[in-house]
Amino acid sequence: MFDSLNTEKPMVMHIDLNSAFATTEQQAHPHLRGKPMGVTNRLSKECVVIAASYEAKALGIKVGTRRSEALAICPDFVMLETDPPKYHSVYQKLIMIMKDYSPNIQMKSIDEGIIDFHGCESTLGGRTLTEIGYEIKQRVRQDIGEWMRINVGIGPNRFLAKQAASWHKPDGLDVIAHENLEQYYDKMTLTDLNGIAEHYAARLNAHNIFTPLQFLAASEFVLKKQVFKSVVGTYWYRRLRGFEVDDAGTHLGMVGRQWVVHKPTHDTTYLLPCLSYLCETVGMKLRYRQVEARGICVWMRLRNGESWYGKRMHKSSFYTNDEIYKRALEQFSARPYGSIVTMIGIYCYGLEPSRRSQLSLFEDITKKEWLAQAVDEINDHYGMFTVYSATTLNGTKIIKQKIPFGGTEYFNLLLGRA
Amino acid sequence: MDPTVLINERVDVVPIFYAHAPEQALCVPWKMKYKQQEIIFTKLGYRHPTVQGKRMIHVFDVSDDANDYRLEFDAERLTWTLVSMLEGSYVR
Repeated sequence: MFDSLNTEKPMVMHIDLNSAFATTEQQAHPHLRGKPMGVTNRLSKECVVIAASYEAKALGIKVGTRRSEALAICPDFVMLETDPPKYHSVYQKLIMIMKDYSPNIQMKSIDEGIIDFHGCESTLGGRTLTEIGYEIKQRVRQDIGEWMRINVGIGPNRFLAKQAASWHKPDGLDVIAHENLEQYYDKMTLTDLNGIAEHYAARLNAHNIFTPLQFLAASEFVLKKQVFKSVVGTYWYRRLRGFEVDDAGTHLGMVGRQWVVHKPTHDTTYLLPCLSYLCETVGMKLRYRQVEARGICVWMRLRNGESWYGKRMHKSSFYTNDEIYKRALEQFSARPYGSIVTMIGIYCYGLEPSRRSQLSLFEDITKKEWLAQAVDEINDHYGMFTVYSATTLNGTKIIKQKIPFGGTEYFNLLLGRA
Repeated sequence: MDPTVLINERVDVVPIFYAHAPEQALCVPWKMKYKQQEIIFTKLGYRHPTVQGKRMIHVFDVSDDANDYRLEFDAERLTWTLVSMLEGSYVR
């Protein structure tokens, strides 16, 4: 069934805002349009670009480029601090536009999403997805701003739709279907394929697969049993041919937060408030997702290049900031003493659905729930970190809330409390 | 490097509320008085809502061709604040 190409009409559209944060800033600041500029989380001497405009990208300035490197390449390079509410507004408008075309939309991150048109043929009114794609481009310019540009990719599955959206940047619109699939693969390299980075490319190379066309020609047996040595090989076999394998929901396995230490140190008095801050944000995420955790892990990256972690699975579940901090502190205290910490993170695992709605026989448990709920309500109403633990006091001065790049689950929560 | 000049001052603003306009341009600041100068805006870059605690704030990024300005309208207190300015002369 999956041995030939999927000849189904392409019904999946991938929409990608070009250099989303940088383009949004250029939309807001007309003087920056057409100029090399970038966006960073917090302006500092050695801050890095987290989004670069297309003009900056053309000069070789990309995500991860340090400020000093960017200025060496282009002395006129302009860097702005991120403005999450602005990006959220663009994100909301993009969702509203997408929902006008199909109820089956899925945001993959804050700047890209998928519209699945399966079952919506009657609402298309005889128009092709290419026509709809151009209409959405026009609507983005009208409803969000004239400088906003999107890439649209259309394909029979999510993978090919995303590949099509990356084909001609910026402002492209491409369709990949069974008719042009092989011509498309012929122009690409293995690492041009979304999901194939150096590590996977090396595996494929080891089995004499050097191009996407050779990848396509490889048998399912070779991919499953020899290259990937798991079901991942089968998924790639089907994905490359245009069959959908990426529409399954994801399972929430852990909830965490990490932070690049602003001034790398081994000083406990500096690190502890930051740890407490991270615990508060993780607690907030746990309660937002209505889960409780049993396991906790504290990890660190050290100046000497080594990493360290301490983790423990507890018998009872926990979800309040105080409980998380106490458990994290236990792990933190076991860290290698004297090592300079450059990055610190915590994550909770062993997640299970929250039982907070159940009545407890013990008054102290009920009080704990009430306290967590009251603090959350105050912070929801008056803004994040209106009420917090005394141990977090200095942490709030040091750590800045970051933009979640991957998932979109917490974006509304963060904005609501910003 | 960062051409943004922080100002954070209350200013006099004359806005226009259009009855029939796209959502993005329903309310547009037309001109403001800052340091005894009248600045007439020629372009609305972007408008977006945000909150400060429970207060609704509308942020307007506007331009007068010479500079870009960030104006915030506090919908509860009915105040306009010139938050910052991006100097056009800085951006070559």
